[in-house]
Amino acid sequence: MARSLPNRLVTGLALYLLWGMDRAIGLGVAMLFGWGCASSAPHPTPVARPFDDVHRVAIIVSGESTFAVAEDRVEPGRTFDEILKWHPYGGALRPVAKLVHRAINKVRDADQAATAARNVDGVSPGSTIARAMARTLEGSGEFNEIRILEREPSGEDRPRDDGALVRVTVPAWGVIRVREGDPDLVSGFADVQAQMVMGRTGVVVWDGSEDVTHPESAPLASFVRNRDFARETMIGLLERAGQRLANELLYARSAGR
Amino acid sequence: MTGRLARTSSVLLSLLLPIISGCGTAGLDVHYPEARVNRTIMASAPPRRVEIAPVADRRMDTTRIGIRPKNEGDIVTSRPVADLVREALVLELSKNGHLVVSHERDAILAATVEDFRLDEVAGYASARYVARVVIALNIVDGRGGDILLTRRYVGIKRRDVDKPSDDARRETMDAALARTMHDLATDPELAKVLASVRTAATR
Repeated sequence: MARSLPNRLVTGLALYLLWGMDRAIGLGVAMLFGWGCASSAPHPTPVARPFDDVHRVAIIVSGESTFAVAEDRVEPGRTFDEILKWHPYGGALRPVAKLVHRAINKVRDADQAATAARNVDGVSPGSTIARAMARTLEGSGEFNEIRILEREPSGEDRPRDDGALVRVTVPAWGVIRVREGDPDLVSGFADVQAQMVMGRTGVVVWDGSEDVTHPESAPLASFVRNRDFARETMIGLLERAGQRLANELLYARSAGR
Repeated sequence: MTGRLARTSSVLLSLLLPIISGCGTAGLDVHYPEARVNRTIMASAPPRRVEIAPVADRRMDTTRIGIRPKNEGDIVTSRPVADLVREALVLELSKNGHLVVSHERDAILAATVEDFRLDEVAGYASARYVARVVIALNIVDGRGGDILLTRRYVGIKRRDVDKPSDDARRETMDAALARTMHDLATDPELAKVLASVRTAATR
């Protein structure tokens, strides 16, 4: 009974939203067109060249990181679809149903996301990744100097001719559903990007993008209720992300030779 | 006449159904592309004669790598997983200047596949693939038989797709295998051990 009440509320809300939206079709379609206009064409990937002549690397973290709980449930979207099958404007309403589905789940996840985020309070994803990346690059023995910069380099801090700057960004991190079940299982994740530019010329020599997922998975409740587990898992995940970026950088270093 | 037509139709239908539904496919052609293999840290060790022992497949379920959603059948690879891993190892060793041999070896590389799996998570308007490859590796002294190094490499690739397809499944598995091999090829400890093994000249 306790579980069915929220479901009934969601279904009721879904019905209310969908059946009341006939007149909003035009608005929905216009919004979708608007989003379409805002999206940009994918950036062409620069062609990498060997960069095994780079012996000094400075790493700098930039950009904001958003902690997210991405459960990506199938409900209430599937219920919407069932309803829309019988609706005269079912096809046209489907994109709107997608948006409503997304909005409802965002509201549903908000509390858990906030609690999980509090559990990893003080953990800086960019800095943790940068440190792990630096350690891995140092351990490889392929570089004379690895530095982590706190701010954009100027003056003496600027990389020399055999130096390069690696800019790391972590647009998203958090927990994500990785296996269906009862309960579903989630893992820590981090989406990280890195770009290596030559110090003096600014030429991009390497562009890396990694979707990093923790090898272990657990119910979402573990991340919400167990602070120590959440912190340990997420720090481990971020260190793994730093190692992955470093390994891909090392692997690409003499590409084409 | 009608009965004969019905029988013929049912036979034809039973033959065509597996093809239409995709169950008749031979499996995912997962592979490690030679063109993208680079010389890397493993090449810092002097060239060695390395024997690759038969790759052991120690997965809990070796008959498949995953299950299609809604119980629509198993996801399998077109070739045995152990062969795929062996091929990838041969490519990495060769590209990094080492000779893969079956006799007079300096070292033996013994690999075990602990996981090679594709999980598919259904979302409302998309599907998420999570591919996972775990390979345990022992480097064994070619003459004495001592284990010189034990490592475990884990490659995971996560990908969201709007429309599930075998191409997307294969690409996700390819990427997980590539990540595992890149971690292996850039492992400085592995290169160090390869450099330290006794060769015919140093014995």
